[in-house]
Amino acid sequence: MASDDDPASSSDLEASASAAAAAAAAAEEEEEEEEEEEDAAAEEEESETAEEAEYYFSDNDDAAEETVLDVLADGGEEECHWSVSSVRVITKESLLAAQREDLRKVMELLALREQHARTLLIHYRWDVERIFELLEVKGRERLFLEAGVSAIENKGRVLSSSPCPITCNVCFDEVPPSRVSEMDCGHCFCNECWTEHFIIKINDGQSRRITCMAPKCNAVCDEAIVRYLVSARHPEIADRFDRFLLESYIEDNNKVKWCPSVPHCGNAIRVKGDICCEVACACGIQFCFSCLSEAHSPCSCLMWELWIKKCQDESETVNWITVNTKHCPKCHKPVEKNGGCNLVACLCGQAFCWLCGGATGRDHTWSSISGHSCGRFKEDQEKRTEQARRNLYRYMHYHNRYKAHIDSLKQETNLKETIQGKISISENKESKIKDYSWVTNGLNRLFWSRRVLAYSYPFAFYMFGDELFKDEMTPQEREMKQNLFEDQQQQLEANVERLSSYLEKDFQDFSDDLVMDTMSRVINLSNVVDRLCKQMYQCIENDLLYPLRTTHNIAPYKSKGLEKPSEVSICWDSCQSSRSTRTCQEDRCPTSESTANGVAEKTVLGKRSEAQLQGSSSSNNGGYSSSSSSSSRKRDKIDARTGPTFDLNMPP
Amino acid sequence: MLDVSRVQKELAECNRDQAISGVGIALCDGGSDLSHLTGTISGPVATPYEGGTFRIDIRLPGGYPFEPPKMQFITKVWHPNISSQNGAICLDILKDQWSPALTLKTALLSVQALLSSPEPDDPQDAVVAQQYLRDHQTFIATARYWTETFAKRISVDIEEKVQKLVEMGFPEDLVRSTLKSVNGDENMALEKLCSS
Ligand SMILES: [Zn+2]
Ligand SMILES: [Zn+2]
Ligand SMILES: [Zn+2]
Ligand SMILES: [Zn+2]
Ligand SMILES: [Zn+2]
Ligand SMILES: [Zn+2]
Ligand SMILES: [Zn+2]
Repeated sequence: MASDDDPASSSDLEASASAAAAAAAAAEEEEEEEEEEEDAAAEEEESETAEEAEYYFSDNDDAAEETVLDVLADGGEEECHWSVSSVRVITKESLLAAQREDLRKVMELLALREQHARTLLIHYRWDVERIFELLEVKGRERLFLEAGVSAIENKGRVLSSSPCPITCNVCFDEVPPSRVSEMDCGHCFCNECWTEHFIIKINDGQSRRITCMAPKCNAVCDEAIVRYLVSARHPEIADRFDRFLLESYIEDNNKVKWCPSVPHCGNAIRVKGDICCEVACACGIQFCFSCLSEAHSPCSCLMWELWIKKCQDESETVNWITVNTKHCPKCHKPVEKNGGCNLVACLCGQAFCWLCGGATGRDHTWSSISGHSCGRFKEDQEKRTEQARRNLYRYMHYHNRYKAHIDSLKQETNLKETIQGKISISENKESKIKDYSWVTNGLNRLFWSRRVLAYSYPFAFYMFGDELFKDEMTPQEREMKQNLFEDQQQQLEANVERLSSYLEKDFQDFSDDLVMDTMSRVINLSNVVDRLCKQMYQCIENDLLYPLRTTHNIAPYKSKGLEKPSEVSICWDSCQSSRSTRTCQEDRCPTSESTANGVAEKTVLGKRSEAQLQGSSSSNNGGYSSSSSSSSRKRDKIDARTGPTFDLNMPP
Repeated sequence: MLDVSRVQKELAECNRDQAISGVGIALCDGGSDLSHLTGTISGPVATPYEGGTFRIDIRLPGGYPFEPPKMQFITKVWHPNISSQNGAICLDILKDQWSPALTLKTALLSVQALLSSPEPDDPQDAVVAQQYLRDHQTFIATARYWTETFAKRISVDIEEKVQKLVEMGFPEDLVRSTLKSVNGDENMALEKLCSS
C-alpha cells in the first residue's frame, strides 16, 4: 500500500503521536524497553516484537510503513513456524497416521512386529524417546519383559499338529489341539476360555493390556488372536477392542489430549515439549492443555480451579448473609443489622441481642443491653464479622474487575462484525488506503490482551491473598510484590482501554490523514499492549512465583495468540510406506482388517465421539461443562468459525 | 454365567485331599447355590493360628473363573492383612493378580500361606499391623488368644455356653470360672451356679 507519496511517514506518525501525551509516553517507554531488549536479545525466545518495533521506528520511512503492516498482516503465517511444529491437531482421519509415525519408529529401530511395538508404546505411554532411553539403561530383554512383550522368537505353533487332546487349565476340559491357542509366552488354553477372558477384559476397559491367563504371566496377549477369537463370537466387541487400541494413542499419552469441546468435535491435540501450555483446536476452542478448562493464564491451573469454584458457590455472599443477618428469636425471620449498636429490632417488634441472638428488652446503651449479658461471645463474633466482611470486599474487588473485562471481551467480540462492515466500506471507498488489516490485527490484539487482563485478576486474588501463599511471603514482601504487579496491571489496563477506544472509532468516515493517524495509534498501542502482556508474564514468573517454594506452572504468554494447529498429515511418503508394512502384516493376521481401512476407522471414531458426548461427566469434560457461561461462549466460537476464513490465528 | 461344571470339578478335587492340604470347600450352609461357598483353613503349624480352624465366606461372581472369587473370613482372626472388624482379606491374587487358571483351592492355600507370613507393609488392619511391627510379643499373644477364643471348636462351644448362662442372669466372670472348674460341663456348671 505504501506508495512514494504516502502521506504517513513515520516522522508524521511520531509527530502525531506526540500530540497525544499518553501515546507519546507509551512510545517512549517502548523505545527504552526495546533497547533493553535488544541487549538481552539472546534471552528472548522470539524477538519478533522487537523487530516489529524496530521497523516501526526506523528512519526508512516508506519501507517502514509497509513492513509494519506486512509483518502484522502476515504475522500469523510468518511467525508460527515454531509453534505449528509444536502443536498438532489429530482428527478422526489422522489418528491412525499419527499413531503410525511412532509405531514405525519403534518397529524399525527395535525390529519388532507392529503389535509388539504397540504393546511397548502403550506401556511407556507413547513416549518414544523414553523407550530408547530405557533401552540403553535396561537392555532389550528387561524393557520388553516389563512391558509384557514376550520373547518373540518362541513362536511356533507346532501344537495344532499334535493329535492328542489337551487339558485346558481354566475349564478343566479336554479339548482337541485345533481348539486351543498359544500365546507368545508359550501358555496355552482353550479358545472358549481365551474368548471369555478377552471379553471380560475388553468390557472392563482393559483392552490395551490384556495379559495372559496363566498365573503370574505378565505377557500381553497377541492382538491378532484377541481380534480373531472375539470377533467370531461378538464382532461389536472386537470393534471396540480395535477402537481402544487406536485411541490408546490419545488416552495413554501425556502429550496428546482430547479436545474438551462439548459437543465433542472429534479431535485431539498433540503438543511437543512442555505440556504446560494453552492450545487451540481446529474446532475453534482454546483450552489449557494441563487441566482442559478454558485458557486461563496467567492463572495457574490450581488458581483457576479455586476461582471457578469460588465464583460458582458464591460462598462469600453466603458468608456475608450468615454473618449479617440473624433470625429473630420470636418470628424466626432473618433480620439485618442496621445500626451500630448490638440491639436489633425485628419488624415483629421483638428486640434481641445481635451478638447472641437472645431476646432482650429495648433498654440499652452502646455497650450493654439492660438485664442482658453475653460478653463472652462478643469479641469472637465481631472478629468473625470483620474478617468475613474483609474477605468479601476483597473478593468483590477482584471479581468485579475480572467480570468487567470478560464482559468487555464479549462486547468487543460482538463488535467484530460491525468493524468488519466498516472495513468493507473503507475498502470500497475512493481512497489510496486499501489495506485495513491493521484493524483486524488490532482487534485480535485487543481480544488477546483483554483476555490476559481478565485472568490477571483471579491470579492477583490468589497471589496476594491468604489462601495459597500465606506462609510463603512476609507481609512486606507481599506488599512489594503486589505494588509491582498492580503497577504493570494498571498500565496494561490503561493501554487496553485506549486500544479499544481507537478501534471503536468510525474510521470509515475519516479522511485519509485521520485514518493514517488512527492506524498509527492502533499499531502503536498494539505493540505496547503486547509488550506489557509479555512483561506481566515475566514479572509473574521471575519476580512473583519463582522465589516461592510452591510450584505454580503458568502457561507461557503467546504473543500471537493461540494458533489453530495444523493437522497431522495423513499421506506423506513414510506414512505410505508404513501402510504397506501394515499390509504385509495383514497377510499374516487375516483378522485385523477392521483397523486397516480408513472407513472402518471413521465409523469407529464416530462412535467414540458419541460416547464422549454422552459421557460428559468424564473427567475430561468436567472442568469445562461445569461453567455454563464459559461453555456457551465456546459454542459461539465454534459456530463462528465455520467459514473457511482465518486470517490471523487469533481468537475468532 | 458361572461355569458350573468347573466349580463342581473344583469342589471334588479340593475335598479329595483336604486332610493333607488343610483346606476344604463346601456349599454354604448345606445349600445348593454353587456361587456361595464356605471354605475352611486349618491354622498353619508354628504360628499363633496353629490348632485353629478358620471359616471363610466365598462368593463367586458370574464371571468366575475369569473374575476373582470374593473371600472374607467368617472366623475372627488377628492378622495384619485381615480386618479384625469384618474379616476382609488383603491379598493380591484376590484382586488384580487373579488368574483364571488359579482355583479356589489355590486361593485358599494362598490365604493359608498369608497366615504364616504376614505382610505388615501392605496392611488391611492398621492397628494390627502397628502392633505386629512395634510390639511383636503382644501381637503373638493376641493372635493366639483370638485363635483360642474364636477358631477352636471347643472354645466356640464354651462361648455359646457362657452366653447362655449369662443370659440366665449369672455374672460373666463367675460363669467363666465355674465352667472352667467343671471342664465345660454346662449342667454341672448350672448346678454349681445355682447352689452357690
Ligand atoms: Zn478352557
Ligand atoms: Zn503366559
Ligand atoms: Zn475441538
Ligand atoms: Zn489449566
Ligand atoms: Zn420477629
Ligand atoms: Zn441502640
Ligand atoms: Zn447477647
